[in-house]
Amino acid sequence: MPQKKKPIGVVAIGDVAAVFLKVIAAHISGYLNLDAEILPSVAHPHFALNENRFQYDCGVILKTIDSESFDGYEKVIGVLAVDLFVPIFTHVFGEARQGGKMALVSTYRLQNNLKGASVPDSLVYERTAKVALHELGHLFNLMHCDDDKCLMHFSGNLEELDETPLFFCRYCTAYFRDALQRQ
Amino acid sequence: MAEKLRIMIVDDEMIVRESFLHWFEKDGHSVATAASGFEALEKIEKFPYDILFVDIKMPGMDGIELLEKVKTGYPDTIVVIITAYGSIESSVKAMKAGASDYLLKPFKPEQLSLVLEKINQQKKLTSEYNYLKGCLEKITRFDNIIGQAESMEEIFKLIPEVAKSDSSILLTGETGTGKELVAKAIHAKSSRAHFPFIAINCGAVPDSLLESELFGHQKGAFTGATRSSKGFLEVVSGGTLFLDEIGEISAKMQVDLLRVLEEKKITRLGSRDPIDVDFRLISATRQNLEAAIADGSFREDFFYRINVIQIPIPPLRARKEDIPLLIDHFLKKYSQEMSKRVDRISPETMQLLRQYSWPGNVRELENAIERAVVLSGSRTLGATDFAFLKPSSAPVAESQTLRDMEIFQILKVLDENDWNITRSSAILGINRVTLHKKIKRLGLEKAPPVV
Repeated sequence: MPQKKKPIGVVAIGDVAAVFLKVIAAHISGYLNLDAEILPSVAHPHFALNENRFQYDCGVILKTIDSESFDGYEKVIGVLAVDLFVPIFTHVFGEARQGGKMALVSTYRLQNNLKGASVPDSLVYERTAKVALHELGHLFNLMHCDDDKCLMHFSGNLEELDETPLFFCRYCTAYFRDALQRQ
Repeated sequence: MAEKLRIMIVDDEMIVRESFLHWFEKDGHSVATAASGFEALEKIEKFPYDILFVDIKMPGMDGIELLEKVKTGYPDTIVVIITAYGSIESSVKAMKAGASDYLLKPFKPEQLSLVLEKINQQKKLTSEYNYLKGCLEKITRFDNIIGQAESMEEIFKLIPEVAKSDSSILLTGETGTGKELVAKAIHAKSSRAHFPFIAINCGAVPDSLLESELFGHQKGAFTGATRSSKGFLEVVSGGTLFLDEIGEISAKMQVDLLRVLEEKKITRLGSRDPIDVDFRLISATRQNLEAAIADGSFREDFFYRINVIQIPIPPLRARKEDIPLLIDHFLKKYSQEMSKRVDRISPETMQLLRQYSWPGNVRELENAIERAVVLSGSRTLGATDFAFLKPSSAPVAESQTLRDMEIFQILKVLDENDWNITRSSAILGINRVTLHKKIKRLGLEKAPPVV
């Protein structure tokens, strides 16, 4: 992948274990060959809490934090430890607008298996990296891919997420490279 | 790649519209939004949509009302109802009004994917159905019956006339004359065209089985009846039942069918409850049913029931002018089907085929052409490609003079024996020298191989 001048920013929104930020930054560098920098964390998004659902609204967070200045960064991955939602869905693992500047990743639902038992840390980190790279793909205008052996394939639950690989299929790789060149 | 769809989100809450919009954009679908039922109808008038996601509770026109309007005006558009106020009543109402699915907000992300997958499957099945329906219409089309002979023209005039009524029809004619095609054409032209057409060859089904096939049976009606089954008389409901070889059915079955035709009710085997049935009966036979009545093997009352309108189909030998037309049709059909360029027939062969008596009628002709196309090594079919018809297809002397008949007989025997003089003379009952003399005197020559 060609190097870009502006790096990808990885930022904690609220309290998030530093290791998650490091894992995401390492995967962005290692798998996408893009520079990634960990930024100083921003405050907990109390403003986005939906009191009926006890969850945080992705749309509200993106609207509020996206407006803050991340000028020196090509794209930004915001990492949260809270449960995220969009109004139509019960929850999301991450959220990004096509071609947007910032994506969100939540570690909240990645810590357990489908039955609620905890899973090894390594698996949690891998899941976090997958969600982060998938959402970053959307920021670079990549769409969901029909190939279930592609990182851009939509994963509706943890089982599917675990089956998704950490790399793009050759078509998405080509789209991604093209998107980088056009940035 | 999965098909990209044209989707419209109809919801009075902007946040919901936006959530859907952003989500579907990630799948690459083309998405529009509408804040009310009225706006949705305006948009759908200008541009066709594959799927509408409609909120059930909206001010002004609610989701159910919009659903009903869309299903009336744009029946191909799929509507999925979404609501935060889930109740059995509203979901039942929506599904009854034609909604394809029902989503309760908020739903799991994978539920939306499953709904889209289901809709894609449904769209695929619908387009397959439409394609097959088109093919079926092509098959049963009236102009699929080929013929310009006067006798066929009369049948063509009769088909739309008899199709209007519900009277029983009896098609008579030799095997292979196209009785089923005529029956299908009558069905296709009738008001029952959108209901099933079921054809049963009574001669091919044993009587005991035919009873169960026609009337159906209840579970346990006989050994092996492990579950209840509908009979053809029930399945055909609203459509046309074609009973071929009606002359073959037993006296008992004639009585049973007579009762069905009179009462329009059937009783499944092993059951006592009569079931109403509605179908039009078209029967066909190659037998002389009047003779069968005379010898007592066919019931007169049943005959009059099935013979309200009789349409005799002429044998192919009685409409020889149609043979070139049919040959042309079958050549096109089979050369296309087999992707083989065999589209000509030599004039001599055409003459040969015109003169053949075709005891198996159009079916035999079709099979002969199919076989010839399969086996032919050249673009033009010659006499050798129809060698299998030879025993009865040898040219018949056009004139009845003794000389012409002698020429044809000698040529026939010579051709059959590959011009082996010894063998041919033995068959003709003359000696070899006489045969040589006759060949010379009559100017007979071995036909060159057809290219």
